[in-house]
Amino acid sequence: MELINRVFGSRLGSKDDAKARLKLLLVHDQVDLSPAQLDSMKAEIIEVIGRYVEIDRDSVDFKLERSNGEIALVSNVPVRRVVARAV
Amino acid sequence: MSECIVITSGKGGVGKTTTSANLSVSLAMMGHKVAVVDADIGLRNLDVILGLENRIVYDLVHVIEGECRLKQALIRDKRLENLFLLPAAQTRDKSAVNPEQMRKLVEQLKAEFDYVIIDCPAGIEQGFKNSIAGADKAIIVTTPEVSAIRDADRIIGLVEAAELPEPRLIINRFRQKMVDRGDMLNKDDILEILAIPLIGVVPDHEDIIVSANRGAPVAFDDTSVVGEAYRRIARRVSGEADVPFVALQPVGIWENVKRWMGLSAKAGVK
Repeated sequence: MELINRVFGSRLGSKDDAKARLKLLLVHDQVDLSPAQLDSMKAEIIEVIGRYVEIDRDSVDFKLERSNGEIALVSNVPVRRVVARAV
Repeated sequence: MSECIVITSGKGGVGKTTTSANLSVSLAMMGHKVAVVDADIGLRNLDVILGLENRIVYDLVHVIEGECRLKQALIRDKRLENLFLLPAAQTRDKSAVNPEQMRKLVEQLKAEFDYVIIDCPAGIEQGFKNSIAGADKAIIVTTPEVSAIRDADRIIGLVEAAELPEPRLIINRFRQKMVDRGDMLNKDDILEILAIPLIGVVPDHEDIIVSANRGAPVAFDDTSVVGEAYRRIARRVSGEADVPFVALQPVGIWENVKRWMGLSAKAGVK
């Protein structure tokens, strides 16, 4: 079965699992924030953005990523419309 | 100008001692005067890999505690007259030595030798701190596995925090066949994650076990592709630029036949 899967290309090599797990693991090893702390950071940031623009809170994508040894907070926040505010 | 290089990894069993032995042998074969220090106090093994276990009288802790002179503890290799081993103590533990004492010891060695290679123990505690204390440079050994790469990343952070400049990476136990079928992280995957310069890729090969059985590091075997991988690492370490990597394809039947007939496998090494 494995052979058939491989021939038809439906099975990814296990190295992709290794790489994905490592990337996540190393970010969390380095950042030293618990999942709960990350969630609360996410909630606060969304809250702040929400004061200025109306956002689609359910499709906010929010994660820590690492490339070339540098950690970045990568987020995609879909904006529905800019809220007009008197400053 | 002499240089002290620490061989480290975080995780145990990835090949630090084998790397230390073969790098030291290869540098000595190039004509450099080399001292290799076993810093794994309590679990010494470098003596066995080098086949020098029967000649130990004094060890690193004896030197540090002033029970003997440095020259009395250094064991001259039986094959290379410019290669010396400073063995670890077997009946003591890591707390027998502190980083300041190691720094002084390395200074003394550097006055006599071109290269001082330190075989660091696994872990990030006292033994690691002792090992990096006197080092000018670090080489990180990893294997293409999640646990080894995770620990390598941690060690790279610690080495950089200790202000050792730019650690370099050796990928050990590399299996091209598994990479080809997508079941092993390849060179680029690992470099993308660890983001330090690569100084060598060593194929996973039976020769390593055979050479450990005999106490004759594989770098002495000029027909071995693994030996060639180590010799090339030594050339890069000594500053030679653009040394090509060995071809990592598994050895085929024809190459085996040639080896049985005593012909060099170097012909197959690109």
